[in-house]
Amino acid sequence: MSRINYHKLSVLIADDFSSFRNTVNGMLLNLGVTNISMASNGEEVIEKCANTHFDVILCDYDLGPGRNGQHVLEELRFRNSITRRNIFIMVSAESSRNIVMSAYDCEPDDYLMKPITAMMLQQRMTRQLVQREVLNPAYQALDRGDLASASDCLIDLSLADNRYSVMAQKLLGQVFIEQGELQKAEKLYTRALEIRPLDWARLGLAKVKQIRGDLETAGDWLSKIVEENPLFLPAYDVLADNWEKKGNKKETQKAVERAVEVSPMSILRQKRLADVAQENGDIHAELEARRRTVRLGRLSCYGTFDDQLDYVRTVSVALNEGVSVSGDIQDEVKVMMQESQHKYGLGKTQVAQCHLLEGRVSANTGKEAQARLSLQQADDLMKNEKHIDAEIDRIELLLALGEEKQANFILRELKEHFSDTEEALEKLDKYLEEPASEVNRALVAKVNREGIDLYNGSQFDEALLCFDRAKKLFPKHVGLHLNIVQSLIGKLMLVPNDHDVIKECEAALADVDTLIDAGHSQHPRYLTLRNKIRDIIEEQI
Amino acid sequence: MTDSKPSIDFSTVLASSVHDMKNSVGMLLASLENLIQETPPKNEEEAKRFTVLQYEASRINGELIQLLTLYRMDDSVLPVRVDQHYIIDVLEDQVARNHLLVETSEISMSLQCDEDLNWYYDIDLIGSVVHNVVLNCVRYTKSKIEISAEVEGEYLCITVADDGPGYPASMLQKPSGLLEDAADVNDGGTHLGLYFAEKIANLHTQHNLRGFIKLENGGSLGGGVFKLYIP
Repeated sequence: MSRINYHKLSVLIADDFSSFRNTVNGMLLNLGVTNISMASNGEEVIEKCANTHFDVILCDYDLGPGRNGQHVLEELRFRNSITRRNIFIMVSAESSRNIVMSAYDCEPDDYLMKPITAMMLQQRMTRQLVQREVLNPAYQALDRGDLASASDCLIDLSLADNRYSVMAQKLLGQVFIEQGELQKAEKLYTRALEIRPLDWARLGLAKVKQIRGDLETAGDWLSKIVEENPLFLPAYDVLADNWEKKGNKKETQKAVERAVEVSPMSILRQKRLADVAQENGDIHAELEARRRTVRLGRLSCYGTFDDQLDYVRTVSVALNEGVSVSGDIQDEVKVMMQESQHKYGLGKTQVAQCHLLEGRVSANTGKEAQARLSLQQADDLMKNEKHIDAEIDRIELLLALGEEKQANFILRELKEHFSDTEEALEKLDKYLEEPASEVNRALVAKVNREGIDLYNGSQFDEALLCFDRAKKLFPKHVGLHLNIVQSLIGKLMLVPNDHDVIKECEAALADVDTLIDAGHSQHPRYLTLRNKIRDIIEEQI
Repeated sequence: MTDSKPSIDFSTVLASSVHDMKNSVGMLLASLENLIQETPPKNEEEAKRFTVLQYEASRINGELIQLLTLYRMDDSVLPVRVDQHYIIDVLEDQVARNHLLVETSEISMSLQCDEDLNWYYDIDLIGSVVHNVVLNCVRYTKSKIEISAEVEGEYLCITVADDGPGYPASMLQKPSGLLEDAADVNDGGTHLGLYFAEKIANLHTQHNLRGFIKLENGGSLGGGVFKLYIP
């Protein structure tokens, strides 16, 4: 314990109460620490750490209004203001470290429960400092990105069989995985598991299986881990990845949802939930997750202006689908946009996007005049400049106003304007009859091929699933719609009496009817299919 | 209008108010420590008063934490994070936590544990069990408390012994489970602490073994002996 030279240490104390700061200051002075700084709120900690290296940061969890200790830690890591070599100790009056920590993704090096005593402070600081000294060569190598040296150091440490060997093993497992040394990682985790079924080792082994492509085994293990320890957050993330790799978006959403339930404070998981819910067309879940993302983003370094835009877009979709959105949404959107102008210092395009989205919400709530005013404001700002994201927001506003002709006119213009920009074309494809981007052309062709193969093999349900997935991405694609109708006909011939299938046929036909008129090249095919359905139904009667 | 009132989940209400109380007591303890440091007791009388204040506040704090933990256990949101830890760490923490209390009440506390002894357990839960038992000993012991740890067969055994009058015979027979026995509540305590300790011990399992607690009288100091076994 005497190895630490306290005179050389620099320590930062962060607490909103001066009495606590003074108490801790006194304790540190008694230990011989002279280089002590103080901070009374989160901003101050972030500012001080940006300019100064502190060996130890003693940060209270509750820092008054604004950011708490976890926000601060998250931001310090995000900005690279601290590395593994700084010691961050969270201080809190909470009784359980799990309750405080499990709600977030980054863990402090240690956790001290209030009330703290001088002896406690000394013991914990000394333990951490000695540990840092032991692991320092490995940390330095990791900070340099030198995995080979890091793993050499860690191998020695993990074989030492002392109080640092487990810590070294945990790190070494991660380093092995990062190096692609899967066999070594597997051996390390297996050896740890021979002693006890420890969560970190089980998770590590599941990760190795996942990387190797053995998604079944990885999935089984991960499900078992979260079942036995429902608060072990990292396991949910890997489980969600696993389902995603298997192509099962519904289960991916479920895994993220469970993690979010345990840890509603994690903005990154809320974002992931919103995105996967969107892919699944689950508007209720998406709306809630986007709303929370915006709220959490106010204090988090991971909050962005795009989160706000995405939230308003989702609100518009919800309103359009008749989902009830609580509160005075228009007012909320207005305030939010003003806040973000202030917070993020928006450029011209972004301000225009704000107007367009405000307009879209107005249009969706029946305030047409207001919506047109917003459109005008955006047009005045952008003049003839074209930015793909703003343009798409404009199209959505026009569609919400019922101006389909103008929207289609602009779409044709945009296709021309961005003909050399693959990325922009990909964003436009959702609104086009035929995808314009290379990637999506290839994708539609592939899906169509697969679907037609299934159809030819009379696997109509599978074919429908295939076409439906593509329809979600390209809702305007007439060919896909007609393929769906044709697959339904195939199904109907097998079960001619099934009223559900008849209803599905009629709905699918109605969909196509909204997309094409008599002059469309696919119109004859549409008529043929429509007549065929009529014949089948009449035969029954 | 109907007669039915909106039902409230009383345990949730209790839990959240216990949570508030605990935070307040935490503040109280911190201020108390400041006070003792800034204005040290001038005579024995004052020192005694400080001790009583500190001891009772710590006890309330400990009991509230137990209540919260039991609530979470019941609600199955109590995570058990078993990992490898060095025993000396958790024991030293408890000595440090009660350092001032022990000093002001003139009790000598000793620690006997191999520096290299390590085991698999949840460090926070086991820490709070030891903390409660130590606090209890402060109340009943005459002059000494000894905390020790060693491996006994398949178990780690943490022992807290004192030189007080020892545990009453009724408790030796059935250390926990007394909570249900209303008659016993009158003899000075609910034994919530022991119930808590037993529950936490039970949460630790390995193969077919399960943690447990044991009470004895005698031991090296001739008083009460509390033993916590973790497989």
